[in-house]
Amino acid sequence: MLAASILLIFVSGAVLYWIRPHTRVWAGWLSTLPPLAVTAWQLNAALPLLSGAGAESGGKADLQNGAIIAEQYRWIESLGLELSFRLDGLSLLFGLIISGIGVAVALYTHYYLEDDDRQGYFYLSLFAFMASMLGLVWADNLLTLFVFWEGTSVTSYLLIGYSHRSAFARGGARNAFIVTAGGGLALLAGLVLLGQASGSYAISEIIARPGLTELDLYPAILILILVGAFSKSAQFPFHWWLPGAMAAPTPASAYLHSATMVKAGIYLLARLHSALSDHPLWLWALLLFGGTTMLLGAVFALRHSDMKALLAYATVSQLGVLTTLLAFRSEAALLAVVVGILSHALYKGPLFLVAGIVDHATGHRDLRMLGGLRRTLPVTSGIALLAALSMAGIPPLFGFVAKEALLESAYSAAEHGEAAGWLAFGAAAVTGAFFVAYSFTLLWEAFLRPAPSAETGNLTSNSPLKSGATPIHHPPAPPLVAAPLILVALGTFAPFVLKPLSRVFTPAAASIAAQPVQVYASLWHGFTPAFLTSLLAITVGIWLFLIRSRLRAFLSQLPDNLRGVFLFQRILDDLYALAQVTARFSQGYTLATQSGVVLLAASIPIVVALRQINLNDLFPSPLALPGAPETVLILMIGVSAYVTARVTSRLGAIISLGVVGVSVTLFYVFFSAPDLALTQLLIEVLTVVLLVLVFTKLPPDVRPAMQRWKQARNVLVALAAGAFGFFLVLFNSSDAMQAALSISDYFLHNAVPGGHGANVVNVILVDFRAIDTMGEITVLAIAALGGYALLNAPRVRLPSSAPSQSASDQPAGSEEANPVADTSRSNIDPPTDTEAH
Amino acid sequence: MPELYLRLLNRILTPLLLLLAIYLLLRGHNLPGGGFIAGLMAAAAFELQILSRGHDRVRRSIGPYLNSGIGLGLAIAICSGIAGLLNGVFFKGLWFDLHVPLLGELAVGTPVIFDLGVFLVVVSVATSYLLGLSRVSDTAAPIPDGAPSPELSDSFETDPAGVADGSSLRTER
Repeated sequence: MLAASILLIFVSGAVLYWIRPHTRVWAGWLSTLPPLAVTAWQLNAALPLLSGAGAESGGKADLQNGAIIAEQYRWIESLGLELSFRLDGLSLLFGLIISGIGVAVALYTHYYLEDDDRQGYFYLSLFAFMASMLGLVWADNLLTLFVFWEGTSVTSYLLIGYSHRSAFARGGARNAFIVTAGGGLALLAGLVLLGQASGSYAISEIIARPGLTELDLYPAILILILVGAFSKSAQFPFHWWLPGAMAAPTPASAYLHSATMVKAGIYLLARLHSALSDHPLWLWALLLFGGTTMLLGAVFALRHSDMKALLAYATVSQLGVLTTLLAFRSEAALLAVVVGILSHALYKGPLFLVAGIVDHATGHRDLRMLGGLRRTLPVTSGIALLAALSMAGIPPLFGFVAKEALLESAYSAAEHGEAAGWLAFGAAAVTGAFFVAYSFTLLWEAFLRPAPSAETGNLTSNSPLKSGATPIHHPPAPPLVAAPLILVALGTFAPFVLKPLSRVFTPAAASIAAQPVQVYASLWHGFTPAFLTSLLAITVGIWLFLIRSRLRAFLSQLPDNLRGVFLFQRILDDLYALAQVTARFSQGYTLATQSGVVLLAASIPIVVALRQINLNDLFPSPLALPGAPETVLILMIGVSAYVTARVTSRLGAIISLGVVGVSVTLFYVFFSAPDLALTQLLIEVLTVVLLVLVFTKLPPDVRPAMQRWKQARNVLVALAAGAFGFFLVLFNSSDAMQAALSISDYFLHNAVPGGHGANVVNVILVDFRAIDTMGEITVLAIAALGGYALLNAPRVRLPSSAPSQSASDQPAGSEEANPVADTSRSNIDPPTDTEAH
Repeated sequence: MPELYLRLLNRILTPLLLLLAIYLLLRGHNLPGGGFIAGLMAAAAFELQILSRGHDRVRRSIGPYLNSGIGLGLAIAICSGIAGLLNGVFFKGLWFDLHVPLLGELAVGTPVIFDLGVFLVVVSVATSYLLGLSRVSDTAAPIPDGAPSPELSDSFETDPAGVADGSSLRTER
């Protein structure tokens, strides 16, 4: 059912695309059905856990039976790759957040993007993302997890770049993708190391295996996985991509960049917590990077007056909080993580959706332009009030519960005399004050205060004329408001139903710890140090709110050079410059330089190999001399190759080149390789005809004399390439190589019984090495696309100025004619190896 | 206008070459032949067409199918791999015997279907190149004898910086 749910979401995205949702009134409601079904199914599956039996025993029921549900499908077994899914407490919590908030976001999207004819495309990407995210949190295999992890990166790229005509959206999408996909590469390396070191790729087995932290590889594994997780979850120093991703349409921001995708890194850290956390390196890495991120995000949120940018930095800060909590191993900290994840999803999601409604209704989301929306958008303002107060951590809202849990766990760590605990406690207190400050700023400036006077004179005729409010151009449709309303209602009721809710929290915390836990979230802890700190933070936060204009002025003085985006842009520019230099060097401007570099590079391994082996071993001991036919062919090849190089007429060069090719074909015939001979012959025919076709259009026989040093260089490259080919064949056909490494026998013996074919070459191509062939025809197709673009361009402008000399040291036109020969040749390479025996 | 003998040759040879291509494709699993060779053979047939009838007419008749041919070929190849996946392993060969009237027993398997995909990709890619090149060579302005020969690569020379970002291909209409 887990795999079926993922498939259902994927397919429904395609269906939504196909029904052209912008033309249907009911499409928004229809789109809520698949995520709703998945949510309902998860709740149903977890019923034994939720009905109370599991909660009383502290999640033991969950852990003793292993997972609630586990599924396995075979994929590529030889790589240890299988599709396996597992639903336990942690993945249930995440799965419910993903599908549950997915319901609200799916409904919201239809009304937010009304009349947009690319709405279907948005749904397609959104549902593909949802499916990837579900796969990520349900995966029980490191490689399965990675596949879905990359899926979220790609779909997130598509969603951020949805408004593809805007340079801001394209830049944001590109930056987010480079950071998250780059982190993904590090993660892949880390996961493979982890899988190899622990001897299993199944996550449930890795978690159960003790002593991973004592491995020599542990620091490498940890650092690589942390780079992946930090880049995904926007931790310092990768935090800056998240504000850039705000170019995405608001439903995507609310869904991906607050509730789900950015939590993927947190999820991964939580998932591997029990296996990797028992080490000072884990504690300090998470504490320092998480702590920096939460302070940085909280301070920078105040700098921005764009509602979405403010919320983005607030999200960065909250992600830092979660990372910091995961540094600790206490049960209280794990519970605080779980509560923090849910409460954040339930207040930040609605706030983003509210920002979208405000943007949709007034055309602005800059706080400097807004005001008085409580009169014109009363319901929306109510939602914003509840969500923002929750974000500020004001009792008795859900955010307060989360903040209490955070401070309690940090304080209890501090009480035990851990320096790390004091650091986390201090950072959390300061961050808490800033949370209050920017929550109040958002609330006051957009909704409560009278609008700035400059705007009040600008009321349009069709807006309700209420003084002191930003005019509404486009009143929101009820379902648009309903989406955040549902979420904020859930978040508001949550603190009063904490006991039933802990049946979700406790198993989730237990899955992180991989053992039963005995903690419960509660609204009221008494007058503990944590509560008093919380009160202090609120007081300081209100003071910060009052002096916010001075703070903003101070923060905007910071030089741009300190901002990650600018540093990243500089690195990117340098990379482009480097790519240009290497391209100029390796790809040159003429075919001669290009092939020269390739051939020389290919010759290097041979030189290295030859230094390590005895040359005498390579030559067969009675050295067989070529017979008469071979001698004739060798002479023909040598002479016509020389003629090709020396002849002044182009036609002469083509013909003698053809002679070389046909002579080589005859060689294949003599050594009974009919497939190779046929292919080579066809290629020769096509090439010669093509060259003639192209060359008839060029002036006859203008072939300027080549400079001497170029001649010498070309001769050297040709000799090196020839030696490369010679030794390669010799090396492969030497007795030692044949005995040690040859797979020819395997192919010969298995072609008929295993491959049902007597033509071994063909069986290798289409059966034994079918994936290689698949790759080759894919390359061929890509080359065809490139060729199509080049050859069918309206018209290539030929420069009217006199061409420079260096381009003329090759037969003109070979540039155009060669792609066919090159790409086709690359495809007959596999038989060459196997025919050589 | 193409030579008369070329047109005559075309009438006779093109069907023969295409038949030969199909023959090579079908027998490839047991005797010399296969998707690559058959694809090149078919491309040779189309080249003969281009030479004898002019690239415009050939483009009108088969041009529209080339890009879809590439996609279709890749899709067929992938599907033959997925058929194996459904039975265990990606690209695992599946075989079944078909009784075809006149031909007798015929062993059909996913590798043969895969070869069909290879054939489609190769013939479409090669023909697409042939058509494109003959068009470029046809539309290139005739150059007076003795003038220095302008080449496509020269546009790279004059704009070295454009190599990396692809802006060197300036087009005009």
